Amino acid sequence: MTLLAFFFIVVSLVTFVAAQLILKRAMEATKTTGFRNAPFVWRATCGVVLMTISFFLTLGLLQRFDLSYLYPFQGLSVIFITLMAAILLKEKLNARLAIGALLISIGIVLVSLS
Amino acid sequence: MQNRPTGFGNPWLQLVLSVACVLVSEFLLKRGATEVANTDSAWSWTGVNGLASPLVWWAILLIIASFISWLYVLRYIPITIAFPLSRVVDILVPLGCWIFLGELISPLRWCGIALVVVGLALVAKPIAQIEERL
Repeated sequence: MTLLAFFFIVVSLVTFVAAQLILKRAMEATKTTGFRNAPFVWRATCGVVLMTISFFLTLGLLQRFDLSYLYPFQGLSVIFITLMAAILLKEKLNARLAIGALLISIGIVLVSLS
Repeated sequence: MQNRPTGFGNPWLQLVLSVACVLVSEFLLKRGATEVANTDSAWSWTGVNGLASPLVWWAILLIIASFISWLYVLRYIPITIAFPLSRVVDILVPLGCWIFLGELISPLRWCGIALVVVGLALVAKPIAQIEERL
């Protein structure tokens, strides 16, 4: 795998995770203020744009690699979410998360070598 | 989970349908992308040329369907239960690649996939809890 391919894999996953979290925030905002307000429209638009970028990058990658090769990289999203929780929520890493993240990382390395 | 709808509205059935839609959409995307693959062009990294394949459009419809049924599922089943269950797709996608797409998966890749699946199973619940707070 080239560095460029790895870069696109990471960007497609980061945009996907970011889109999920932004869309979740957008939907939460509707509980109090409804759908017709600027913060909702702004967040929903950002979420959809990021989701679209992730979709097309994945489509570009699928033209070059097996699905069985690309799919396990989705495990990286767990690492991103764990890192964000550590940074934004100041959450400490528990043993279960740490072991899971370690297994996923080793698994991805093995898949990328295959 | 009181007053849970039955029949087609049963949230557990919707969870199965949501997973099935994700699964089939992955295979359709792969088939569609392979159909129009043009790896000589740098432009194809953007994936936009994939829209020329009807299979990709079917995949988009299934992604939207899975999203709608997932939102429905979350009205009745807590995310900390629904999310780990939905990750069965992590096992079904590689198996489907082997059975339906005829991909040759080396023992090294199977080992890697197995580690990722075990790791994801381990973190599914805490990750769902973290996502709720983020």
